[in-house]
Amino acid sequence: MSRWGRRPQLSFPDVGSIEGPLLEVVDLHTSFRTGRGLVRAVDGVSFNLARGHTLGVVGESGSGKTVLSRSIMGLVPGTNVERSGTVRLSGHDITAMSLDELREVWGMQIALVFQDPMTALNPVVRIGRQITESLRLRAGLDRKAAYETSVALLKSVGIPAPEQRLRNYPHELSGGMRQRVMIAIALACGPKLLLADEPTTGLDVTVQAQILDLLAAQQRERHMGMILVTHDLGVVANRTDDIVVMYAGRVVEQAPTAELFARTRMPYTEALLRSIPRLAEASHTRLRAIPGRPPDLATELKGCRFAPRCPYAQDHCRKEEPPLRAAGQGHLFRCWYPVGSAEGDAALAYNVAARVPAALAFTGIPVRDAALVAPNAVGSA
Amino acid sequence: MAGSGTAHLRSDDVLLRVEHLVVEFGSGRHRVRAVSDVSFDVAKGETLGLVGESGCGKSTTGRAVALVHNPNSGSVKFDGTELTSMSRGEMRQARTKIQMVFQDPISSLNPRRRVLDAVIEPMSVWGIGSKEERRAKARATLESVGIDPDDSGGRRPTEMSGGQCQRVSIARALMLEPTVLVCDEPVSALDVSVQAQILNLLDDLKRDRGLTMVFIAHDLAVVKNVSDRVAVMYLGKLCEVARPDDLYHRPEHPYTEALLTSIPEPDPGASRNGKATLAGDLPSPINPPSGCRFRTRCAFAQQKCAEEEPQMRAIGPDHFVACHFPLGTNPAPSSATAASVQPPVAPPPPASPQAPSWSVQAPDYTPAGAPAPRSTPVPPTPATPPAPTLPAPSERSPLWIDPQG
Repeated sequence: MSRWGRRPQLSFPDVGSIEGPLLEVVDLHTSFRTGRGLVRAVDGVSFNLARGHTLGVVGESGSGKTVLSRSIMGLVPGTNVERSGTVRLSGHDITAMSLDELREVWGMQIALVFQDPMTALNPVVRIGRQITESLRLRAGLDRKAAYETSVALLKSVGIPAPEQRLRNYPHELSGGMRQRVMIAIALACGPKLLLADEPTTGLDVTVQAQILDLLAAQQRERHMGMILVTHDLGVVANRTDDIVVMYAGRVVEQAPTAELFARTRMPYTEALLRSIPRLAEASHTRLRAIPGRPPDLATELKGCRFAPRCPYAQDHCRKEEPPLRAAGQGHLFRCWYPVGSAEGDAALAYNVAARVPAALAFTGIPVRDAALVAPNAVGSA
Repeated sequence: MAGSGTAHLRSDDVLLRVEHLVVEFGSGRHRVRAVSDVSFDVAKGETLGLVGESGCGKSTTGRAVALVHNPNSGSVKFDGTELTSMSRGEMRQARTKIQMVFQDPISSLNPRRRVLDAVIEPMSVWGIGSKEERRAKARATLESVGIDPDDSGGRRPTEMSGGQCQRVSIARALMLEPTVLVCDEPVSALDVSVQAQILNLLDDLKRDRGLTMVFIAHDLAVVKNVSDRVAVMYLGKLCEVARPDDLYHRPEHPYTEALLTSIPEPDPGASRNGKATLAGDLPSPINPPSGCRFRTRCAFAQQKCAEEEPQMRAIGPDHFVACHFPLGTNPAPSSATAASVQPPVAPPPPASPQAPSWSVQAPDYTPAGAPAPRSTPVPPTPATPPAPTLPAPSERSPLWIDPQG
């Protein structure tokens, strides 16, 4: 018996005991009703995640990646939200579940590592109680077993002297240690799917490497599915099986990791890759910034959503949104003039000749006012 | 690493010269020496990159240069004038020439003020020009950083994105036409795509206005892109000073190498060549390790590192390192003296936690009530090798040559 009375008995099959993917997301939409109109934060996202696999979700701020991870968990607020589509975990439709049933899923089946370890922990509750809470309530352990389990958990996430740390408050730990505690809390009930929402943003590069290594090790060890949400393609390059690139609420490219990096099709993915400063480049190498910023999702968007910032964009792109097309090897992309194709090369050459600022910035020709391109100039030449 | 010394200072044509800078906070038992004997100089028109982990004192150093903190000792010379001994009035005057750009663009702007007013303010404070002149200059400066004053001048910071706010902060710092711009983590709160825009903007401004910059960041890839000279900091001390390309191709300090290997490369084929990422956290600066401050996390630490603080010394043209056993000149421990110093490292003082030698291994429990997390056998994970302070014979670095063998 739990604090909330009789627990609904859900029969989630054991990992590996059934066929099919661990997580299926089918045409998921999440929109917020705001004063400015309907904001389509997640707009028709579909993907599958196999057991033991890692999926990277990449995009800029405002691309809808955080709302996507919350929608998968069913953690979006009930009011002023329109949600449609299906999320199936081991065949169970999460979107159709009641709150009582969802409480069985959260922590036990799906766990979330939040973005900001500084604010995600309760500052006035000791670490120990924050970890044992779900063990006591969800896994139904008694006080002693929960304590012993939490010591083992802290040890497994690489926290030295766990018995002492359990008595600490969050402010007594460094950012990296707090993120380890967050991971320990998420792993406490042995979830089958771990969602990590920007788990290393705000941490130092050295600590970032430690945390990513820890997540990868835990994931392999427990044979969990993992979704790693980040804005940095460098973070997901070595640590994921598949990558979904999101832009303005849409999936714009989706492929196995090696395939995505070897044969990038979507101009947005290419632009993101090029904007990262590389260690191998000489200092003062001009960075290929993406001019402008993502569109306002409250406005009616026509054509390809990346077109106003795209070095390849043509009139066709501004009129009609490309569908998600397949290119073999599980590679999907949403572009009329894909990178590396004859049409794409011709489109880029045309734009450079026409001195389109986005194309000039992309080819490295410095255009001082490239950043002044109006962000929502869809339809204008 | 983490040594003192002034071997890396230059004598000619230096605009900003910081010597033996010490900044302390708190008092008594809880006195923190955030910056502990740091010296560096910046030539005119040069960008100095200051890189290190959180808590290494890089921001405090930048603030001391911009006279936000008064240093406890040491000297800051700007254009031949000593800044630390100035009166309040003189200091205010000097500050107009040294301006700062802060980390969090949204919270460093007053949310209730319009963008144009925020940018005009420095000129109003100093009573420069008429109202129309200030306005015209603010509009021109906003345009030079890529903000349209007609469209955005009347907005408030909350109506703008992080990248736009950072452009406004830069415009405000430029209003008094400073000679030195201290940028404290100007891009760490921004997306990679916006980060590239701001880095390009800073490079353009530096070229057009002949600015001298001190650029503080924790990401070595970012620092490398903008800097002419890079200084690596650890726990209040400098480790290595070099030109960015030298630093990348030939890191001499073990800490610099650890920073380099920590940066995620956007290339799935890039292996880290078995290089370990740095384990553990920064020790407490309240009671730092004796000798070299990096030794508790350093794979190459020897007895000498615990006893003697390394001094900054030249190791190549315009390349300086504060390390007893720099990577390029190893294997130092194979010398005859190394045989007499085993075990290599003495335990650190009690309050400075030694690098924990944990590993990210499997948990040895299964929560009751939860399904067994593993039903398929998984090969044991190669755990991140911890930085051993006391390497077992089998774990010694390839640079280690057994003195007996």
